[in-house]
Amino acid sequence: MSETNDDYILEVRNLCRKFGSRKILTDVSFKLKRGEILIIMGGSGCGKSTLLRHIIGSLKPDSGEIFIGGQEITKLDDRGMAKVRKRFGMLFQTGALFNSLTVGDNVALPILESSDVSSSIAELVVKLKLELVGLTGFEHLKPAEISGGMKKRVGLARALALDPELLFCDEPTAGLDPVMTSVIDTLTVDLTKKLGLSAVVVTHDMTSAFRIGTQMIMLFEGRVIAQGTPEEIRNNPDPILRQFINGDADGPIPLKLSKDDYLKRLMQVE
Amino acid sequence: MLFAYAQLSLRAFAALFAPLFGGKRWRLSALFTQMVNIGVASMPTVAMANFLLGIVLAIQGAGQFQKLGATDLVASLVAFSILREIGPLITAVIVIGRSGSSITAELGTMKVAEEIEALNVMGIDPVKFLVVPRLLAMIIMMPVLTVLGEGVGLFAGWLISVTSLHLNPIFYVTNSIAAVEQKDLFTGLLKALVFGGVVGTVGCFYGIQVEGGAEGVGKATTKSVVTSLTSMLAADALLTTLIYFT
Ligand SMILES: Nc1ncnc2c1ncn2[C@@H]1O[C@H](COP(=O)(O)OP(=O)(O)OP(=O)(O)O)[C@@H](O)[C@H]1O
Ligand SMILES: [Mg+2]
Repeated sequence: MSETNDDYILEVRNLCRKFGSRKILTDVSFKLKRGEILIIMGGSGCGKSTLLRHIIGSLKPDSGEIFIGGQEITKLDDRGMAKVRKRFGMLFQTGALFNSLTVGDNVALPILESSDVSSSIAELVVKLKLELVGLTGFEHLKPAEISGGMKKRVGLARALALDPELLFCDEPTAGLDPVMTSVIDTLTVDLTKKLGLSAVVVTHDMTSAFRIGTQMIMLFEGRVIAQGTPEEIRNNPDPILRQFINGDADGPIPLKLSKDDYLKRLMQVE
Repeated sequence: MLFAYAQLSLRAFAALFAPLFGGKRWRLSALFTQMVNIGVASMPTVAMANFLLGIVLAIQGAGQFQKLGATDLVASLVAFSILREIGPLITAVIVIGRSGSSITAELGTMKVAEEIEALNVMGIDPVKFLVVPRLLAMIIMMPVLTVLGEGVGLFAGWLISVTSLHLNPIFYVTNSIAAVEQKDLFTGLLKALVFGGVVGTVGCFYGIQVEGGAEGVGKATTKSVVTSLTSMLAADALLTTLIYFT
């Protein structure tokens, strides 16, 4: 039952997860081929970050399976998970930099921890990775001293520090200007083309999604409502998907607070 | 809850002693930073608290002993209670308030900011990386601070006795030395060692299990301080009983 094709670096099967009584992920399934970039789209709060957390093994699903490089990970213990994690890098939605360390030390951390390289080699790698994300010369600043977009880029440099096979990015370009967005997009595509890296990218930015994605899935209330190549997604008639891609205010996507709702809540006496 | 705490403590101590059995070395720079944070920064407060308590002990003792016409006994009272009980206790109280709470708040903030999750994803064990340096620093610095505090407390007792109670400065010292045994000194230090372990593990435990943003950090810090205080007192009672009956 756990046979997977070796062409697939990542496969998620029938993943379900509840927080309390709220269903956050329902029957999520998809596959990612080596060297491809999978885009996960979906409205705020639909469970994108939660899905990533399951894939990186921080959260365990209620049911379903996740295969990374053919290995099932949902039942692995900490030690087994640590081994699998050596193969991937993750950029967190908030950057998750260590505030007590400088930018350079943040990027150096996974390098120094994972092997016995000398600090001068680590320093060189740090320089290279920071240059990739356009942050040469910022090594000595603390995370508190750089902007939100810069933190994202440091986070990306850190995720790439160990040359992972599989890269997870939670909204890598949120908070970046259009030029920097384009730089990061080009970088992601380059990495997959030149180094055979595979990537899973969560994004709200439709321009960059269609620019870099080779596979896309759309999450809505914890379910996959559409998946396919960018071409297929563009031609998919699903009204929710259409509204999301076009960014229309009117459509089937329910607003959490419509006007009537809002008035009702205001008038409600607890 | 208790199970999770025990689990973390076991893992922490295993990682702490691993270098002695050929495991990976301690991260000395992190340990040093924590020793400064926990220990050196607490020194003035610890000294101050012990100084004041030394004075209080001497004066209250003098009040009682005067009725018996035995003010000389003040020296042995001060020496005995500071070394056995007051020194380690008040030092631990100060360290809990200053450093135990800040360990919880710091680790809790890291948890909320996904930093601990990021460590896991990078294959770095947060127990080794974050808990061990703090715990080890606690275990080293608590006895050091206790010795410092005891010294200051004894000095304060001497000072007030000589200046206000008109005791002979030399007799006071010889009386003190005659009153205490080596065992008293070691009892105090053993207590400090255990308190260090308790405060370190409890502080880290509450920090690492924070959920729910800044509010969660605040709640965990309060819980950490309360739990540290009660566990420290429980350990004190237990150790005192054990030592008394052996
Ligand atoms: N630890 C948790 N406990 C309970 N509920 C949670 C937890 N983490 C996330 N949720 C809930 O799961 C839902 C999905 O959250 P998630 O962070 O995955 O959204 P998202 O799609 O990444 O949104 P955004 O685009 O805003 O980042 C939210 O409604 C959130 O309230
Ligand atoms: Mg998210």
